[in-house]
Amino acid sequence: MNDDARPDYDLAVVGAGPAGQAACLALPDGPRIVVIDEQLRPGGQILRQPPRAFSVRGWLEGAEYRRLKARLAAFESLESVEWLGGCSVLGAREAGEGWRLALSDGGGVREVTARRILIATGCYDMAVPLPGWTLPGAMSAGGVQAFVKSQMLAPGHRIAFAGSHPLQLLAADQLRKAGGTVAAVAFSQPFRRFVLKALGRPWTALTNLPRLMSVLLMGWRLRAAGVPIHFGRAPTAVEGRDRVQGLRLEDGAVVACDAAAFCFGFLPQSDLPRAMGLAVRPARPGGWKACHDAWMRASRPGAYVAGETTGVKGADAAAAEGALAGLAVAVDMGVLPLREAVRRAAPVRRARARALRFAALLEAVADPGPLPDRDLPADTIVCRCEDVTMGDLRAALAIGADAGGVKLATRCGMGVCQGRNCEHGLLALLGGVSTEPHGFTPRFPARPIRIGDLLAED
Amino acid sequence: MRSDGDVRRGAPLTLLVDGQAVAAFEGETIATAMLARDLLAFRLDRGGRPRGLFCNMGVCGECLVTVAHGSASPRRLRACLTPAADGMIVTTRPDERR
Ligand SMILES: Cc1cc2nc3c(=O)[nH]c(=O)nc-3n(C[C@H](O)[C@H](O)[C@H](O)COP(=O)(O)OP(=O)(O)OC[C@H]3O[C@@H](n4cnc5c(N)ncnc54)[C@H](O)[C@@H]3O)c2cc1C
Ligand code: FES
Repeated sequence: MNDDARPDYDLAVVGAGPAGQAACLALPDGPRIVVIDEQLRPGGQILRQPPRAFSVRGWLEGAEYRRLKARLAAFESLESVEWLGGCSVLGAREAGEGWRLALSDGGGVREVTARRILIATGCYDMAVPLPGWTLPGAMSAGGVQAFVKSQMLAPGHRIAFAGSHPLQLLAADQLRKAGGTVAAVAFSQPFRRFVLKALGRPWTALTNLPRLMSVLLMGWRLRAAGVPIHFGRAPTAVEGRDRVQGLRLEDGAVVACDAAAFCFGFLPQSDLPRAMGLAVRPARPGGWKACHDAWMRASRPGAYVAGETTGVKGADAAAAEGALAGLAVAVDMGVLPLREAVRRAAPVRRARARALRFAALLEAVADPGPLPDRDLPADTIVCRCEDVTMGDLRAALAIGADAGGVKLATRCGMGVCQGRNCEHGLLALLGGVSTEPHGFTPRFPARPIRIGDLLAED
Repeated sequence: MRSDGDVRRGAPLTLLVDGQAVAAFEGETIATAMLARDLLAFRLDRGGRPRGLFCNMGVCGECLVTVAHGSASPRRLRACLTPAADGMIVTTRPDERR
């Protein structure tokens, strides 16, 4: 198709989590919508569904999940949506009156065009370098949780959790319920910091009391099951020869385990927005969040962003933003009067504001502190893809390179993850950032593919 | 460890991982099949050390393995996203050109 022809779709939605689902549900019938997600089934990270070939009784029970599952069921029954599961979006560029997306389903690369594009790609676990963290068996807590939720697998016999984010209690609790053994849950920060941070936002804490209580309850349940829960004991190293055999904590004690799960918080998925030339801002605890207006329009025509791509904020805020983006697309397409969109958006905006207050509380509570620890031994790998160590980075930093210079000198950030694991750590070492150009220059493709597939395209 | 209890998995299947027959079920990813069999190394790094997967959601690339299935030519695919299939041939240690 040449750039002037009619685009294949009116709207392409990248990501079928709460944000992408809500966008589709907010749109009136009519527009031709394609939803693309590299997972085979929709749901996003919070509802990573088991495969169709499984049947699971009592999957993710509880009131919070019930609402999310109801939205997912409504989304899955939408007839106006074409579903492209198991398909990665490698990049998108402006083409004529719209956007041209490069897709890969593992079999090769192809392109689709859409008049408008919504990036709702969520977030991912922040990688925090530690000695031994590249040993087989060391994983992100979100990854462990996804095995439990969607594959009914405990990815280890005795799994130790460590980090600063309370979500690790949920992941540990779910693992235990699924029959796995939790070796310990270790928080870097002392317990009183949780209390102080919560007291610092008394109104938000009070209005979210049931939620906070449910987290405490998980802790109690784990303790009652004999799981040690530590506070003020950061992980300092993963021990083992060819695989994880223990997790060392700050005071030198080693928790015996055959898998370790790290939970220091999340980074927005920013590679697509950045490669598309959309404006981003620094996020906390790291990474980049896509900028938007009050209707989730991004900084280029026909581009919208919603959910945790725009900052880590939880599923409720993500869904609210998705709904706003859906309404905005409808208005911009001329299929919904602005006045009606404003009316429908009002309760959504209130829900978003409520959710954002809780997200701010959670962000304060979960603060991982400085990243990575400057005292890490020189042989600690920071860039997992290219085996670049802390020592390599120190040497490059000593000659005064910026992120781009360090990348050229050391290959840090040149591997298949495109810097998703190491960029924030390197920038922290460089002394923090204020604007986008300090990071790596985002490159195509956002996901690994075979060079031959790209050549075949041309 | 596969959790039992309230789950019914898909049909049994067998894939080959580095020449070893690995039993799995329809619906499982290659990563699940390997971990359930206690195969934790998805590649060797430059220092020859075994490396495991990390994110289990497609972003880190640590689980890239070479997959041959049917008549299609072998591909480098993320084991955490790719469903296991009967007769699939998975190699974790190809030449390290990535
Ligand atoms: C591993 C993990 C586990 C989590 N578990 C919980 C939990 O249990 N409870 C909780 O409250 N919060 C959890 N969170 C936070 C949770 O992700 C959010 O609250 C919520 O799911 C965000 O919704 P979203 O729509 O913005 O993004 P997501 O739900 O993350 O959806 C984004 C979707 O985009 C897809 N995607 C991303 N990039 C591409 C691409 N290039 N091509 C194709 N598809 C792409 C992803 O596969 C994903 O399905 C978790 C986060 C992570 C990373
Ligand atoms: S484990 Fe990270 S991409 Fe598969």
